[in-house]
Order: sequence, then structure tokens, then C-alpha cells
Amino acid sequence: MAKGSDQFGSRVGLIFAAIGAAIGTGNIWRFPRMVGANGGGTFLIPWLFFLFIWSIPLVIAEFAIGKRARTGTVGAFRIFVGRKFAWMGLWTAWISTAIGFYYAVVAGWCVKYFTLGATNGLENVDTTDVWNAFLNDPSQVIMFQFIVIAITIMAIWKGAKAIESVNIWMMCSLFVMLFTTLALALWMDFSDGSLDGATFMFTVQWDLLAEPETWINGLSQSAWSCSAGMGMAITYAVYMRKDEDTVLNAATMGLANNSISIIAGLAVLSAIFAASPDPLAVVTGGSSAITFLALPEVFAQAPGGAGGRWLMMTAFFLGLSFAALTSMISTVELCVRNFVDHGIERNKAVGFTAAAIFLLGLPSTFVWIKMDAEGVAFPEFLEVQDHIWGYGLMFSGLFIAFSIWKYGYIKWRGMIEDGEIEGGLASFFKYGMSGFRDDFINTGDNDLWVPRAWDFIMYFAFPILFTVLIVSYFGDLISSFDPWYSAFNPSNPHGAGIILLFWGVVAALFIGFNDYVLTRRPVYLGEGHWITGLFDRSNWEMRDAPLFRNVPEGAEASIETLPGGDDPQIVEVGEVPEGWEDVYGEVMDAELA
Amino acid sequence: MVSTMRNAKAILITLLLLNSLALTGSLGAMAQEEEPVGELPEDIWSDDYIYQNFPWYGNDKLQFNEYHDYFTMKARMLQLANANSDIMEFHEGMPGGINDRGIDMNSVSYEGSYYRHASPWVKITGGEHGVQGGECNDFVGDCGNYADRPDVMLVGNHHAREWMSYEVPMLFLETIAYYYGMDGIDNDGDGLYDEDPWGDADGDGVLDDDGDCLRLNASNQDFNGDGILCGPGDLGVDEDFDEAWITDLVDTREIYLIPMLNVDGNRYDREVFCPDPAWESCSGGGWRKNLRDNTLTGVTPLPDVSEDVDEDCDGVDLNRNYQFEWGWPLGATLPLIPGTCTPSEDERAGVSNNDVYTGPFDTVDNDGDGKINEDHVDGKDDDADQQIDEDWDGGNSEPETLFIQDITEMNDDDGDGASDFKATLTWHSYSELVLYPWGHCTGCSAPDEAELIYHGAMMAEMTQYQNMQSSDLYPTTGDFCDWHYGVHRSFCYTIEIGTAFHQKPEDIKHIAVRNLGVPFYMMEMADNPVERAQIGIENAQRAQWITSPENMTIPESGPIPINMCVSDVFPWSNDVNSSHVRWRIVTPTRVQSDYGPKEWIEQSWQDSEFVEVDNETCLLNNGANGTLIVSHIDVPDDLSGELHYKGMLGTQSGTYPFEYPASGQYYAAAFPYRAPFGNIIGAFLLFFIVVGAVWGGLGVALKIMMDSGKDKPQLGKKEAQN
Repeated sequence: MAKGSDQFGSRVGLIFAAIGAAIGTGNIWRFPRMVGANGGGTFLIPWLFFLFIWSIPLVIAEFAIGKRARTGTVGAFRIFVGRKFAWMGLWTAWISTAIGFYYAVVAGWCVKYFTLGATNGLENVDTTDVWNAFLNDPSQVIMFQFIVIAITIMAIWKGAKAIESVNIWMMCSLFVMLFTTLALALWMDFSDGSLDGATFMFTVQWDLLAEPETWINGLSQSAWSCSAGMGMAITYAVYMRKDEDTVLNAATMGLANNSISIIAGLAVLSAIFAASPDPLAVVTGGSSAITFLALPEVFAQAPGGAGGRWLMMTAFFLGLSFAALTSMISTVELCVRNFVDHGIERNKAVGFTAAAIFLLGLPSTFVWIKMDAEGVAFPEFLEVQDHIWGYGLMFSGLFIAFSIWKYGYIKWRGMIEDGEIEGGLASFFKYGMSGFRDDFINTGDNDLWVPRAWDFIMYFAFPILFTVLIVSYFGDLISSFDPWYSAFNPSNPHGAGIILLFWGVVAALFIGFNDYVLTRRPVYLGEGHWITGLFDRSNWEMRDAPLFRNVPEGAEASIETLPGGDDPQIVEVGEVPEGWEDVYGEVMDAELA
Repeated sequence: MVSTMRNAKAILITLLLLNSLALTGSLGAMAQEEEPVGELPEDIWSDDYIYQNFPWYGNDKLQFNEYHDYFTMKARMLQLANANSDIMEFHEGMPGGINDRGIDMNSVSYEGSYYRHASPWVKITGGEHGVQGGECNDFVGDCGNYADRPDVMLVGNHHAREWMSYEVPMLFLETIAYYYGMDGIDNDGDGLYDEDPWGDADGDGVLDDDGDCLRLNASNQDFNGDGILCGPGDLGVDEDFDEAWITDLVDTREIYLIPMLNVDGNRYDREVFCPDPAWESCSGGGWRKNLRDNTLTGVTPLPDVSEDVDEDCDGVDLNRNYQFEWGWPLGATLPLIPGTCTPSEDERAGVSNNDVYTGPFDTVDNDGDGKINEDHVDGKDDDADQQIDEDWDGGNSEPETLFIQDITEMNDDDGDGASDFKATLTWHSYSELVLYPWGHCTGCSAPDEAELIYHGAMMAEMTQYQNMQSSDLYPTTGDFCDWHYGVHRSFCYTIEIGTAFHQKPEDIKHIAVRNLGVPFYMMEMADNPVERAQIGIENAQRAQWITSPENMTIPESGPIPINMCVSDVFPWSNDVNSSHVRWRIVTPTRVQSDYGPKEWIEQSWQDSEFVEVDNETCLLNNGANGTLIVSHIDVPDDLSGELHYKGMLGTQSGTYPFEYPASGQYYAAAFPYRAPFGNIIGAFLLFFIVVGAVWGGLGVALKIMMDSGKDKPQLGKKEAQN
């Protein structure tokens, strides 16, 4: 083991951490709603199809990249795509973190509802009043946001081992909670004479299956729910042990994610179908409404008297809280990892990231708390944030695909230059396309051999599906405006203009950062404190920035053939890159790396 | 002293009155509460009322137990006019002079061609100066003209055999003569005053406003035997009208009552064609036309050697002889050559091939421009010479129709160049219908159709007759109402009373009573038919309703019915382009924002037609009965969401839309998912496939993981192989 490297204690640890990251509120409160709105069992077909076409292949790529690069997203792109493309990693990290700003608030809601459920605070109340009162009381919302961030800090402060144990514990509890809820829900649904919730969830409506919208919704649910392309798998792969199988891990994670979705979907739908006269109106309603307004009402009809009601509320909202917390952990870790990679101490990075997430999440707790047409409060600022950054994830996925394409191309060019093969499209098909898969996936470590289909998925299916998702999303968004071009007015917080504006500014900023922050750093050469000579250009010199790879013992693998791998500033944790001592005068504390 | 006594008497009477009012009221209330077998007529009314003795008494003709003939009718008209000379003046024809078309007319011009009588008529108007103190009209020969009083023309007996059509105007005349100037008569002797005027005065959908007929036992509720319980003409229905209202109407209107226009024809029908009793000798037919000698006019090639009436071929249908859209082929038949006309025996039974002869073609160059018939009467300038309808094809060729034309066109008290008649009525029989223009075209509509329908519906409600466009019964040409409405924009109605041409004598009274309110209604609305209709429609429109979301019943499957209750007087069109439920389905988006408000997708608006529900009435907002119409909205079973809808009614004349709810709003009703949630077998199948793939896959993955943990050496081997 290289000095100062960090890794999960077991393979199960990695799996649980990855599952924890993948399983979030999307599985429990978004999935049942999507099933309801998209024709029950009809929806399961595209949803399952895209698990194998989109989510798992992309997670395989992420694991493979992370396992070889052994850095967070910024470093991974610097190594895999080249120095000029480190900003892609920053984009990936930023999207995840920006979502984290408000996701901490949302996770806080879940914890709040767990406490309400556990204290019988949801018994005999108007759930709308409870929700509206809660959302309009910033002190409450901020308190629970703070609790979530505090738990997250505790989980990741100590690095991989702590992340691992928290995730294992929370995920196992989540399974228990969800199975408890499911059992009670099935009991409810069965006691009214039919399992109509379950029947609906598994019945195909063929006319809906022919609609493109069903497939697009299945794809987006699969993409979001698995966190595929988010950079999370890259981050956790940093802590992989040497001999782990990226493919099996990816498949396990994807399948486990969908398993939880099925359980949560069955539980929620069965309960709603048992308790509601028009279950589909409930289940297709607004998202927050179903979770925080409808479900407490439905759970109030749980079997087994007061005990049953308490159990169902508590179990469900505790499970939901755990799902949100483990996702929060991966979000913060993704950000923290990037700081640590660049030589910043872990405790500082954790503290800084947590503080930023708390402070930048604050506006989502109290700004623009509005009332919708049905008298339900909703946080519009938070919603606008989600509106802006939600689809940014798609580009993180695109960048990952881009790194695969680029590697394949470089490898193919190299082979041509070496005179090994002829050029041409057919030659690229034969030798180029499989480059990434041959060198990083089908290594000796894996039990499952990934076939050539994966190449086709990454080279053809991915760009097509990416385009379909982006075009349909923006197409629907723009066509919902009248006149359509008013969608591009950036002052409209729900339009397309504001998304493009924020994306443009962030991308331009990050591309600008690339050479001044990410891959190079300014070094002060003048006399006295650097503040005194800040504006004298002659005092400053740009030097290459170091990057510390977290390589556990025995996991060393060459990165030299990679576009950004041939860089003396990229070293393993414990090594000291040239020029690093000048700044800090000491080697970074390996224990906390 | 005398005056004090009078006062005391008055107070006593008032007290008694109040007492009886209260008593009757409480009795009535009790009776209604108990829902008993019902009362007998003698429990409620005076004997005179029960036996339908009109208060002016007199012989059977005056009591409407027997028909008047021309002579007795005229004598009675004269008698009444003399007895009420302040408000009534008797006339026969007109003195004449240069008429509106520049033709010199005289009193002979209006005499029937055979018996040489001019139509008798009564001018009725009251007020301070009465029927003789107003402006004099030399042409018409009366001095009861006032520029500020609307003129009403009421014409009976265009068609000779339709005897009830002059009996009804006679009852109208008797009624005015008797009740004018009176206040608060207890017409039915029940102790109440003016409690039950004509029609549904209180708007509750029941003609019997005071409910006394409804108190009777069932066997007494259909006095006139028409099958309608407590309908018009039954005891206790519309029996106690407001005399002061009649007086007011007479004082503020000029009424031209012409009970028997076709004296020639009527005399012939009675005296020659249908030997007494006419209801037996002419059971299905009779003499219809006037007595124009068609052969004498050279229409047929054979010379007419006899001055006798040729029963087969003579006569003109007066109600096809007006100039407006005259002679166009709808319904007109030519006088046929002698020998080809239907024999008179058949005509007595109602079969004829020339009963609707329009009269001869006009052969005169009416405007002297050298061309003949280049601009027929249709309200348009056919020859584009800046004059309208100046050279007609024919029509108004008969003394009777000329009389109507001249009395109409020569009445312009306010000097505005237009006829004063804005409301006209003609009685016919039979069929129990109220007909409004047009008659000359089918599938067409008059410019004021909504308003025409409205007043027609009001009179139809009063008589329980059916209201329809004239041409929907059958198309006509050159009829009275098309001419009045088409040329003078006069709101003109043809009312087809009764159930036979020669109604049996015992039916005269109740049919006349049933139709008595109509001429008064015409008088009332004559001041501004359009505005009165529009206000009425507006009121009716407010009383109408569409099912609100709270009251909506959503069926287990299939279209969702949306009911509307429309007033019978509201002239809604059942064309889907005019009247419909405008609706759209609004469903939640299939991808909801995770944290935002509920998002909806609105489908585009669609229109769905209304159909009338047979045999179903509904209660309007004003308590009256309305017609139930329903629109079936095609909402798929497998959707859940909101139905946005509103009722939009258009009138038959194209006023559109009357909206429910009003002004751009709509109702939103939530509708549930109604399709089956799926079938259990298919669900099990998919369950095993999905769960097999996901959980089975997970199991396999975990197994491989566990195995690979156990035999690490194998891994090394594989690596070596690679």
C-alpha cells in the first residue's frame, strides 16, 4: 500500500456506497409517480431496457475511468482526456455540487417528516397545513438542512472507511424500512379485495407503449435514478481495491437500484390504490405533494391500528431519509475528492465544502416560498435551481462518453502511426472503437467479459439517446411557451434561456479556469507576503499544478498511454511532485488524504 | 254624511276582503299539505264561473255556445262599439283615396267580389281622448290615431271554413268591451282578485298561477278534455286576469281588430258549401278561398257563362295572395282549367288541387318604366334602379288583401314613412300551432329570428301550442305574415287554433278561452317587440343552467354527460356550430417537476353537440320548467384529470354565444381513471419478467461476486491467460 492511500475495506463496502449514491429520493418518490403517469407496467419496459442500454454501460465506463485514474472528476478528465479538458471534470463536479446545494434542503424535509412520523405528528392533521407551515418556517427548514449536512460531514470526515460503514448501515436499514412499508402496503391493498396497485404496476397498456414519451420518460428515469454519468462512480472507484471488477460492480449497482425502485413503487402504489378513490389522480400529481401530502394521509389508513400507522410512517420516512443522506454523502465526497486530489487536506476540504453547501443552500430554504393553485406551498427558488442544473447532468455523461471516444481515436491513430494497421473507417470500427473496452474494462480483474455491444452503445446509442433527451426536453420546454421564443428570455426562471445562460457562464468560466486553476497554478516569487505584490506580474509565475492519485497498494497501473497521463506533476499520494515543496515546504499529510 | 257612510262601507268591505283572503290562503295551504283526493269546482268558484257563463250574458252566440254568422257577428260588433263608443269604433272597409302605391281606391274597392261586403272591423283605443278624439285618417276613416301609440293588427278568417278564427277575436272584443275600465274583479268568484293572469305569470312553469285548478280532484282538472291537466282552457287556469292591465293596454295601443276578413268565402261556406251542420257535411274540408271568379278574369280559356261560383275552380287563397315573395313555387297551385279542378264533393272532405291558388300574375307595368315585373317584392332592389320592390309579379289582387295592404300602409301616424304596425296576428285553424316567419323558404331564418321565436314561445306556453317556423309546417308563398314581416318588419304570428275547421259548437267556448290571452300578449309586446324579446331572452338566459362540477355524475365508463336546462322561450339552435359544450381535457404532465407545483397539460378545446332529452323536464333557476338538453363528452376511461367545460348556446338567428358560466370562465371538474387497472394474469407475467431480470440479475451478480471472492487463484489464472 502506497503511503497515505485510502480504500474501502471490502468489496461490499464499495457496492453499498455506490448503491447508496444511486438510490435516492428518485427511487422512492419519483419512480412510483412515473409508473403512475406512464401507464403502470408499460413504463417498466423502457425503464428496464435503458438500465442495460444506458445506465449500466455508463457506470461501467465511470468505474473504469476512476479505477485507472484514481482521482476525482477533475483529475480523471485531466488524465483521460488531456490537460485542456480538466474543466470537464470541474463541470461534472459542479453540477453534482450545485444539485447538492438544494438537495441538502430536500433531504432535510425527509428527515423532518421522519421526526413527524416518529412522534405521531402526522396523525389526524391536515397534511397540507403541516407542509405549508413547515415550508414557511425557515428556521425549521434550515435546522433540518443543517442536520443533514452535519450527518454527511460525520460520515465522510474520516474518508473511505467511514463512508463505507455509514452506507452499509443506512442501506441495510433502508431495505428493512422499505420491506416493512411494502408488507403493510400490500396488506392494505389486499384487504380491500384486490391487489389493484400491484396489478396496475405490472400491466402493460400497449397503446402507451407505442408512445415515444413513455420511452423518453423511461430513459430519463433510468439515467437520473442510477446517477449514471454524474461522476459519482468515478469518485468511489478511487477507493476501489486493486482486483475489483468494474462490470460486476456496475451491474450490481444498477440492478440493486432498480430493485429498490420496484419495492418502493409497489409499496407506494399499493398503499395509494388501497386508500384513494382515484389513485391515479394522486399518484400523477405534483411530486412533493405525493410524498408529503398524499402518503401521510394514505399511511394513516395503515392496518394494525396506531402501531401500524406509526410503523408505516416512521419506516417510510426513515428509509426515505437514509436514501437521501447516502446520496448526499456521495455528492459531498465527489466535491471533496477533487480538493484532496489537488493537495488540500481532507478536513479542510470537507469543512469548506460543507460550509459552501450549507450557505449556498440557504436561499433554497426561504427564498420564493410560493403557493400553487391548489394551495400547496412550494419552494420556487429551489425548483428553479433544479430546473437549471438538472439537465446539466446530461453533459457530464456526454463528457464521459467523449473521453471514451477520444481514447479510442488516439489509440487507433497510434496504431496507424506505428504502422500496425491501415487507416479508414472500417479500420476504426475494428481497432479504434474497442480501445477503451480492451484496455480499461476487460482487464484481468473482471469476471464478466463486456462484449462489443458496449462499444456500439457508447459510440452510437449514447449520442442518439443524449440528443433525444436534450431535444425532447428543450422542445417541450420551448413549446410550452407562447410565443415560443419567450422561453429564451433569461429573466424567466422557468424558461430555457435561464438554463442556457447559467450553463454558458459556468462552462466559459470553467474553460477559462482550465489553464489557471486546474492544470496550472500561480506561484509567488516576490518578496514579503504575496498580498503586497499581488498586482506586480513579475512576482508571479504559472507552474503546472500537481495532482495526487490515490493508488492503493498493488493497484498500480500505468497511465502513461493516456492523453494526460504523461505529466510529471501527476503523482501518487505520498510522492512529492517537483516544485510542490516550494509552496508548502512540507509533504501533505498522507493520513488525511 | 253620505261620504262618511261610504268610507265606513269601504273599510268594511276591505276588512271582509282581507279576512277572506287570509281564510282562503290558509285553506289552500292546508289543502295542499294534506294532498287529499281534491276539491270539487263548487268548493272553490262561483257557479257562473263553473258553468262558464260570461258575465255579459246574452244568447248562445254571445255566450259562445253557438257560432256567429257574418250578420250576427257584425251586429254584435256594432252593438259593442256603440255601447263603448269611447274606446271602440265600428268600420266596414275603408273610404279610400290615393293609396300608398298611387292608386285611387274607394269604399267599393274592398268589397268582396260575390256578396259585396267589405270586411267589418273595430278600431279600439282608449285613453283621454279615446277612439274618436285623436288624429283623423281620411283614407282609413277613423279618428283614433295617436303618433305615440303602437298599432296592432289582429286578423281572423283569411280562410272561410276556419270558423274559430273569428270566434276567438269576438271573445277578445267582448272581453275588452266588458272589462275595460274596471278594477280588480273577482272573475271566478273565489274571493281573490286578479290572482291568475294569462300564461305563467310567476315564472314557475305552471300556468295555474294561483294553484286552484291543481286543488281539484283529478277528474275535474281536464275541463276541456284536451288531455292536459290544468292546461289553458281548463277551469281555474288563467281565469282571473288583471282588468286594470287590459285597460292600460287599450289606453296605450291602437288595435285594429278584423275578425272576418274573408266575408265572401265565409258566407259561401256557411250558406252553400257546407250545409248545416257544417261539421258533418264538411267533416274534413270546406270552402277555403275567397270567391274570385277565376274564369271571368280570362285566366282560363273557356268563357264563363255563369256568374255562379264554380266550386271546382274559383277562388283565391287569401293567405297566398300577399306580394312578398309571391308566386314562387312553394305551395302555390294554379287555377286549373274547368274540368281539371278537384270536384267540390272532394273539397268538402278536404281534398283539392287548387286550394292554395295565389291569384293571377300581375300584367301591369307598376312603375311605368316600360318593363313588367322586373322587381318583385322581396325587400331587394332586383333591377338595381335604386327603387325597391316597385314592380311586383302579382299578389294583393283581391279586395280582401288589398284592404289589409292599404290599412297597413296608410297607417303612419308618426309620419316616419313606415307603417305603424309592428305587431300583427292572424288566426287560423287548425293544428294548435304558433307559426313565425318565414314561410316562403325552408332552412332559412328571419333577421329577428331569436326574437320571433321568443314571442312565439311565450304565446305557445300560454296556449300549450307548439311554436315553430312557418315553413317547417309547410312552405308557403305570399302569406300574410311573410308580407307583414318582410315588407314592414312587423312581428307577425299565424296561430293555428283548435282541432278542426268546423269545430263542434260545444268546443267553441273552451277553445276561445284557451286563446284569449294571445291577442292581449300581442298588444303588450307591440310597443317594442325586439327589445321585449331581448329582455325576455336575457331573463330566460339567466334562468338557464349547466351542470356544475359538484352536481356532475360521472358514469362508470364512457362519455360524461353534461346537462343543461334551457328555457322553452329561449330560441336555442341545436346546430353544433351554434350550441355546444366547449371542453378540453387537462391532465397532469407525465413528468412533474420534482419540487414545483403540479403541472398540467391542456389539450385543445373541442365542441360537443347538445341533444334534447325526450320526456324530461328540468327546473330552471327561476323555478319554471325547462327543457333538458345533454351533451356527451368523450372522455377516455383511461385518463384521470380535469374536464374544463362551458355551455355555449347560440340562437336560431345566430346570436352567439350565451355562455355558462359567463364571460370567458369555465368549469373544471375532476374526473377519475375509470378503466380497469389491469388484469392479474398479465400482471403476474410481467412481474416475473421484471423481477426476474432485476432481482434475478442482482442475485446472479452477487453470486459471482461471492464466488470470485472464494477462488482468487482462478482470477490470477484468467489474468495470466489474458
